[in-house]
Amino acid sequence: MTKDKVCVMPDTAISADKLTKRFGKFTAVNEVTFEIPYGSIFGFLGANGAGKSTTIRMLCGILEPTSGNGQVGGFDVQTQPEQIKTVIGYVSQRFSLYSDLNVAENLLFYGQIYGLSGTPLTSRIREVLALTGLDPFRQRLAGDLSGGMKQKLAIANAILHNPKIIFLDEPTAGLDPLSRRAIWELLYQLAEGGTSLFVTTHYMEEAERCNTIAFISDGKLLKIGQPSDLRQQLSDQILEVACQPLMKASRLFLKLEGVRGVTVYGTTLNLNVTDQKAVEERVKTSAGKEGIVISSIKSIPASLEDVFSDLDKGRKADA
Amino acid sequence: MRSIWAITYKEFIHIARDRRTLVLLILMPMMQLMIYGYGINTDVKHLPTYVYDQDRSYLSRRLINAFTQSDYFTVKAQVTSLSQAYSALDRGFAQSALVIPPDFSANLIKKKTAQVQLLIDGTDSTPANVALDASQAIVNAFMQNERLIPVQVFPIDFRPRLWYNPDLKSTYFMLPGLIGLVLQFLVPMITASAIVREKERGNIEQLLVTPIKPYELILGKIIPYIAIGVIIATSIITTMHYLFVVPIKGSIVTLFFLTLVYLIVCLGIGLWASTVADNQQQASQIVMFFAMPSILLSGFIFPTGSMPVWVRDISYFIPMTYFLKIVRGIILKGMGFFDLVDQVWPLLLMAFLVIVFSIRRFSKRMA
Repeated sequence: MTKDKVCVMPDTAISADKLTKRFGKFTAVNEVTFEIPYGSIFGFLGANGAGKSTTIRMLCGILEPTSGNGQVGGFDVQTQPEQIKTVIGYVSQRFSLYSDLNVAENLLFYGQIYGLSGTPLTSRIREVLALTGLDPFRQRLAGDLSGGMKQKLAIANAILHNPKIIFLDEPTAGLDPLSRRAIWELLYQLAEGGTSLFVTTHYMEEAERCNTIAFISDGKLLKIGQPSDLRQQLSDQILEVACQPLMKASRLFLKLEGVRGVTVYGTTLNLNVTDQKAVEERVKTSAGKEGIVISSIKSIPASLEDVFSDLDKGRKADA
Repeated sequence: MRSIWAITYKEFIHIARDRRTLVLLILMPMMQLMIYGYGINTDVKHLPTYVYDQDRSYLSRRLINAFTQSDYFTVKAQVTSLSQAYSALDRGFAQSALVIPPDFSANLIKKKTAQVQLLIDGTDSTPANVALDASQAIVNAFMQNERLIPVQVFPIDFRPRLWYNPDLKSTYFMLPGLIGLVLQFLVPMITASAIVREKERGNIEQLLVTPIKPYELILGKIIPYIAIGVIIATSIITTMHYLFVVPIKGSIVTLFFLTLVYLIVCLGIGLWASTVADNQQQASQIVMFFAMPSILLSGFIFPTGSMPVWVRDISYFIPMTYFLKIVRGIILKGMGFFDLVDQVWPLLLMAFLVIVFSIRRFSKRMA
């Protein structure tokens, strides 16, 4: 009996229950609730200033929540921030290792801070260097590494003490596509090993790679679910229109009844619509009147970006 | 314990790779030593003097000789008119002018009162005062030596003696004090910027999510700077003793122990500044803000005894006030630990308060 009570929900790595942070009158994070199991990648999406970093900081135990509860690795966010720190890894938004220390020195330093030493530490450093492919650069100053390698070092550093939970605050921001892919491959490897990853990102195609995603806007959790489910909810609601001239058409279509939003892509417009058939007719007639040439018009599956812009528009309409 | 060592080791790497700070750490104490040792000399010697000798006699030359031999005056030029002497004073070529009228020796031989005029540039009161006193003594001695006045017998045999610094060398006074000055300047500055740098570069964000304890972080960061402070103090003491030949009368062990206490106070000031400042520039401004009154009010140059009471009250809150009494006491007077208790306990109290306060202020939670 008692044993069962001690290990309540052993599968849950991170949980938040109405987690809230206020700075004066400003509410940065507003009653956010979610649960993340071990071995999964949780994508936390939102615009700049939506409350992503504040949520991470509360969960990492470096920012005290105003109200609500949170559990990370079985420890309480409010009362056990120091215990949380022993079981998590953290990759910050801004590179925060020492630029004037080389790769090996940075890892050695943080390893010692986490209580590792001697042979276990040196062999663990060798392991993470091999895993991240940084081994050839072990003598290079961290400040001289490229952006992608800096992030790899930050990740190598975050996994030194074998944490089962890792928080990554925009780990791929500002990186080229190849480096971003390399970073994600690394994250998958970690998740396969049973580690739970909490990742914030701006990139929608990266969100597709997560097991679960959550949208946060102005501190509120708008939606949470699997990427495919979220896209499903918006099915038959996206109309792709290839037409000329693009900007004029975009302004025109936005005024039409049943069009919730228009997103401009290279040579096409994505219309977020409520009733596909009716809107398609309206688009064709108004285009004819205004001299806009439509080369194709078709229904396409929703992308996460569509989901996000739809959610954001819906929220703004409510307000 | 291992975390403290890790931080200390890392800090030493930072210091070794930061050339600019390293140069500052070596150059500044040495520069100060040279400036105060050679440059700033409050001893008034060799005052540039213009002489307008209209008498040109044996006696007038003897008088001029008496002035130059005293070392207080150096004859820069012999002039042939009063206006030349005046303009030399006006333009700063001379700080004093000796005017001997044509009837000087004639009057003396006739046992009449002869006149001699010494003009002194009184703009800076210190050398002017010294020149004034010295000139009077020189002329008195001249009169006795030349038997112009009868040998006097005084009812009181008054024998003033200068102790601790019989030659009144300003290096004896300034250089021990320099230990206090340099530590007060450099140590808070490097400590504060070492800690603020972690904030500035975002390093602190990574450190905060580790299980390191605030006291481990602070001790780890402090230890290298204690070591540097000791090295600076040692280099100043060594140079002072061997190059400027200032004797150390007291115990070197006591000196080092109390310097260590003072160092901790200085570190504490830096720590405190780092909890207030957001970047290195702010930190160094805060440190400078406290260093300036320390130099002026601690008695480094101006004695606290001659200050108005309310200013003296301020000086009691300045750690350097106590440390100056300690270093000068040990080095010049050979005072021991127990002679200095009145200076030691305020320093110990300050060291304790500032460290406890800083560790408390340093929270591992972000604001």
